[in-house]
Amino acid sequence: MVIINILFEKFREVLVSVLPITLIVVILNFTLVPLELPIMLRFLLGALLIVVGLTIFLFGVDLGIAPIGNLMGTHITKSNKVWIVIVSGLLLGFFISVAEPDLHIIAGQVAIVSDNIITKFEIILYVSVGIALLLTLGFLRIIYNKSLSILLTILYGLILIVSLFTTEEFLAISFDASGATTGAMTVPFILALALGISSLKKGRASEDNSFGLVGIASTGAILAVMLMSVVKGTNEISGSLDGELSNSTAIILPFLQKLPTMLYEVALALLPIVILFIVFQIITFKLKKRPLKRIIKGLVYTLIGLVLFLTGVNAGFMEVGTLVGYTIASLDNKAILVGIGGLLGLVVILAEPAVYVLTKQIEDVTSGYLKRRVVLVALSLGVSLAVGLSMLRIIVPEIKLWHYLLPGYLLAIVLSYLVPKLFVGMSFDSGGVSSGPMTATFILAFAQGAAASTEGADVLVDGFGLIAMVAMMPIIALEILGLIFKLKTVKGGISEDEHA
Amino acid sequence: MNMLENTLKRTYEMLAVIVNFGVGSKVLHLGKKCGISGGTIFLGKGTQHCLLNDFFDICDERVEVVLMIARTEKIESAAETISQKFKFAKANHGIAFTAALNNFLGVRNCSYDKTHEEGVYKTMYEAIFVIVDRGNAETVVSAAEAAGAKGGTIMNARGSGIHEYSRLFAMDIEPEKEVVMLILETEKTETVVNAIQDATEMSKPGNGIIFTIGVNKTYGLYQNNH
Repeated sequence: MVIINILFEKFREVLVSVLPITLIVVILNFTLVPLELPIMLRFLLGALLIVVGLTIFLFGVDLGIAPIGNLMGTHITKSNKVWIVIVSGLLLGFFISVAEPDLHIIAGQVAIVSDNIITKFEIILYVSVGIALLLTLGFLRIIYNKSLSILLTILYGLILIVSLFTTEEFLAISFDASGATTGAMTVPFILALALGISSLKKGRASEDNSFGLVGIASTGAILAVMLMSVVKGTNEISGSLDGELSNSTAIILPFLQKLPTMLYEVALALLPIVILFIVFQIITFKLKKRPLKRIIKGLVYTLIGLVLFLTGVNAGFMEVGTLVGYTIASLDNKAILVGIGGLLGLVVILAEPAVYVLTKQIEDVTSGYLKRRVVLVALSLGVSLAVGLSMLRIIVPEIKLWHYLLPGYLLAIVLSYLVPKLFVGMSFDSGGVSSGPMTATFILAFAQGAAASTEGADVLVDGFGLIAMVAMMPIIALEILGLIFKLKTVKGGISEDEHA
Repeated sequence: MNMLENTLKRTYEMLAVIVNFGVGSKVLHLGKKCGISGGTIFLGKGTQHCLLNDFFDICDERVEVVLMIARTEKIESAAETISQKFKFAKANHGIAFTAALNNFLGVRNCSYDKTHEEGVYKTMYEAIFVIVDRGNAETVVSAAEAAGAKGGTIMNARGSGIHEYSRLFAMDIEPEKEVVMLILETEKTETVVNAIQDATEMSKPGNGIIFTIGVNKTYGLYQNNH
């Protein structure tokens, strides 16, 4: 009976997170955006696949990905040798990133728009090197007790300097790349790695340092793409991207067509983790039969779950996103676009796999003190604002991306010195977490659809930059949450002079 | 001085309640209504044996453990109320047990009322606590299950014994531990403890510790086998 309970409980939780976005699209279907029946049916089938896939995937993360990450983090640190930490950091960062399907997609797009001055291969290589270096830096920060806020200030300061020499398009692309490389699989893994290292720590430091590694690693991607565009001198953006719309009336067929691609992508992303796990298992883990069997099962769940999830998103949701964006943007009242964008942002984040993993880890690390629901509310509001603001940028061409990014990140950095340490890492991680497969497909498609039907908007330029926003706003939202917590949690009647 | 002696005479008990994730705060709330001044909640992982579990290995049942301490009579009434409210009589709704304490400090509550002397309980159950290095809880649980235990609760913890180094790079280290809590009929305790000792090689130094405490009352435990 226990298993039925657990399964049902997880399924219910996932259902609750996917239902809102589904309902909103159904309501839109009957009001502003009437969709054709086959498209609507595909959307509903997609939603079903997402629920089932996400449920299985989350079990997979619990049993497979997270334990592997934890074990690696712990064992790397316990070696007590700096060269082992550096070499493992570099290898882990490079291989996880090289195998990330989202990076391949964005690299392909950049290659097209830069007329192959920057090739796909180069981007994948440099971004992976960037992530490898920064992940290692993140490791070293934890083991040498350096302040996260200061490191982030330095990194974003560097980004600011380089960005002065970068064109607007590449600014958008580089921030997007950081969102893209932190995919559904990498984020839980990096989160677990950080937890593995920091859980060794004594006292308060353990909790405070459990987060932040994802945030540091993503700056690697930003810097890599920016530097590349500066060095290569690609200032002109040419070429264009075509949104693909299938006119097929088939309902099941598109899913079957997507399935092999997704299977290939997920298997590819999983491969480095599996290989590194085998290497570690032989050298240091030496797990006994039962835990080993469990991890293998977990990896299988991860594979099945993520394939189902991505198939559902790509075959069922993407098209609807484009259509909804296109139709709403062509309405006379442009304010509706901003409103609907904000509404979609509010609910889409709930169905993001990595968000689930992050919020659970926050609960675990803080022993349930910081509730999942509270974090979700902050994230939802952040992403909602991000999508809304991006829609505003599509309508009003005068607003440039850096008008958002510069003050946004400035605020994020300043706040990082004011909020409790625990929240700093958490906030910067949530940036990478929010820009997962749901945003990268559904919301991006929505924005591109909206741009396509808006005069003066460029599908490409306005499309890029959205993920950058979705990655930035949650940082600020969570930091503000941290600030609220700091102000509210003073024990009644007892004066507390603890400094964060 | 008289006051102090009186305080010492009072008996305190600890109530430990193990419930599903998210319910802990409600239990604590109800406990407070029953007159308990406070409590501590921590997270654990429940394990309970069943066939399907073994096949799918989906046994990550997150649980919350609530510890509350108060005077014996308060604990008893609170335990009754909690076990009724959360239906511990039904399977998988949670379990609770109480244990006597020797000392309880930290609550400023000086009002004195006469309490009867508690006789020594003839306990039917015992709680076994096993503290091992992270990753070994699995071994403990399977050994315990093989020896007749129904399931246990695993809690992540940190700590260090005399055999462990305490600094890696610039970090002060408290090695990760796992605490396994098992509730057992007293007559089974010895076999289970021996089985755990054998499985984890606890007789050698640095492999963990075991201690047991007598339990006064339990709620939500079953005799039936699946």
